[in-house]
Parts: sequence; C-alpha cells; structure tokens
Amino acid sequence: MSDSGLPNRAWRVFATGFSFACFGLGAVLMGFTAWPLLRLSSRNSRVAVARVQRAVSASMRLFVWLMKSLGLLTYEIRGREKLAARGQFVIANHPTLIDVVFLVGLMPEVDCIVKQALWRNVFLRWPVYWAGYISNATGEGLVAACVRALHEGRSLVVFPEGTRTRPGEPPSFHRGAAQIALAAQRDLRPVTITCEPITLYKGNAWYRVPPRRPHWILAVGEPIAIAPFLAAGEPQPLAARHLTQALEKGFDVSVAQQSGGKN
Amino acid sequence: MQSTQEIFEQLRGVLHDLFEIDPAQVTLDAHLYNDLEIDSIDTIDLILRLKEITGRKIQPDQFRHVRTVGDAVNAIHALIQNKSAAA
Repeated sequence: MSDSGLPNRAWRVFATGFSFACFGLGAVLMGFTAWPLLRLSSRNSRVAVARVQRAVSASMRLFVWLMKSLGLLTYEIRGREKLAARGQFVIANHPTLIDVVFLVGLMPEVDCIVKQALWRNVFLRWPVYWAGYISNATGEGLVAACVRALHEGRSLVVFPEGTRTRPGEPPSFHRGAAQIALAAQRDLRPVTITCEPITLYKGNAWYRVPPRRPHWILAVGEPIAIAPFLAAGEPQPLAARHLTQALEKGFDVSVAQQSGGKN
Repeated sequence: MQSTQEIFEQLRGVLHDLFEIDPAQVTLDAHLYNDLEIDSIDTIDLILRLKEITGRKIQPDQFRHVRTVGDAVNAIHALIQNKSAAA
C-alpha cells in the first residue's frame, strides 16, 4: 500500500485540519467547563492545579492517539520510564509544533513555560491559566518562577531554544534553562526529539503535509549533572554560558545520531 | 573622579570576568544584546556587579535605555558624578 499517493495526501490534509479543529474546540470547551471545575475542586491550589495538569496530560495523550488513529503520524518513545519520577527538570529540542503535546502527555504533572502570545490566544488562554503554567513575560521573574516550581517538587519542561528549531540548523539555545538549573541546583533530563520527514516546523503551515506519514522519536536521555559547572566556582553567568554550550553540543550529537541513524 | 575612558576599561574587565566576552569585541558602539549576547538575566548580574564597583545604588530604570557599551559607560559616569556631587 502506497503511503505517498495523492488520495492519501489529501486525506492527511483533511484529517490534520480535523485534528487541529478538535484540539482548538476541545481546548475552548474544557477551558470553560472541566478545567475550572477541577481547579476549584480543592481549596489547596497545588492539589487543584495538579488535577488540572493530569487532565490536560490525558487530553494530550488523547490528541496524539487521534492523530495516530487517523494515520497522520507514528511515534516511538525511548526510555519512557525515566520520566516517571516527579520533580524532574526536563529539557528538549523543539523541531515541531506538537513536541509539547507529546511531552506533556508523557508527564502527568508538569509545569511548562507558555509564551505571552498564547496567554492571549482565544483557544488556549483559559487552559494554560487553569493548569497554572508559567508565562515567559519577564526575564527575572521567569527564572524565579521556574526555580520555585522545581523547589516545590514539581516537574518542569523547558525548550531552551525558546521557539522551534529552524530546519537544517543545529539547535541554538538561550541560557535560561541553564540559569534555572544552576539556580535551582537541579540536574537536567534531556529529551531528544526528531521527526522524519520533518513537518509542522517553524514557518510550515499545518496543511503542507509531508510526502510520507511522519514518524516522531522522543528519546529520554541520562541526566546531565550540573555539579561540574558549579564546582568550577565561576560566577553564575559564566557557569550558565558553559552549561549552555555543553547542552547545545550534547543535543547536536543526539539529534544527528537520532535522525541519521533511522529514517 | 573617573574619566569615561577609565570606566570603559573597567567595564571591559567586568564583561570579561562575568561573561567571558573578548575585550576586543567591546567597543563603544557594540550592542549589548545583539553583538555581545548579553541577555536579560545577564543584565541583572551586570547591574549587581556595577553596584559593588561604584558603591552606588542603581535602579534598573537607569539602565532601561542602555543599548550599547557607550550607553552603559555614560549611565555609569552619570551615576558617579551624582555621587560626588552629593558628597
């Protein structure tokens, strides 16, 4: 059975639009019903936020299941069990629009940074509000909020690139993730994400579906220790630079291996 | 009383110590964010260090309009002048 024939492709354009429409409508619907109810289901706001986050995580898994069932994608998760522990600081490269959907689906309770534009997005503003996600509006406040989340024992996922990778270029990291790790004194858990053939990348419209059904690989790596970067006794800005360089290099290698080794 | 040239040299040293920025890159026209890749978190550390050096309280406001190394030198110069005027 051909995977690249025209009817197939037309179907995938239609089904992708259908999936994203479900996502948007679901987000609005839940944002006005289930999520606020869950958020108000306990006086303890941490308990309530955790309930919303678990429900959001389940709906992300549902969305991935939908796209998979419609024949829009396949995926594999390597080392999934490593994400089970709480209080982890997860960083990932960011090739596609739905990376965060996969990651949040894999982690039942996780905070993430949501860019300012989405706090004004008609579909997403209420879900991100009820789930207690962190806004990227301020530099200093952002790092502090992330450190607080980790110190309170919550997991956090950050894309150090700050936005999706430009295809064909190696990931270029901002230093925020390193600053958070150093300030919170947490090791980093890397997740390498690749998608072949690449789709939903920066500047690629959703209806430009790839020639074949794309396959995502999310590989959970071993923790990156920050101790060596703290031990050098450098001022934190310098340590953050060196840690960022090490992270970039690590992802360079893992992305190349993962995309070169299999497609 | 420090001249702007002395402040510039000192700032060069600080940028090297804190951020490992090559002093050759630090010119008066160099843009802190675009050319020297100093981000908003770095700015906080930089202002803390400048507080130590000048012994002067610095409001982030006073650095809000700083874009280039030259702007920073002028802002620091103004701070120090205020201090000696007050003393």
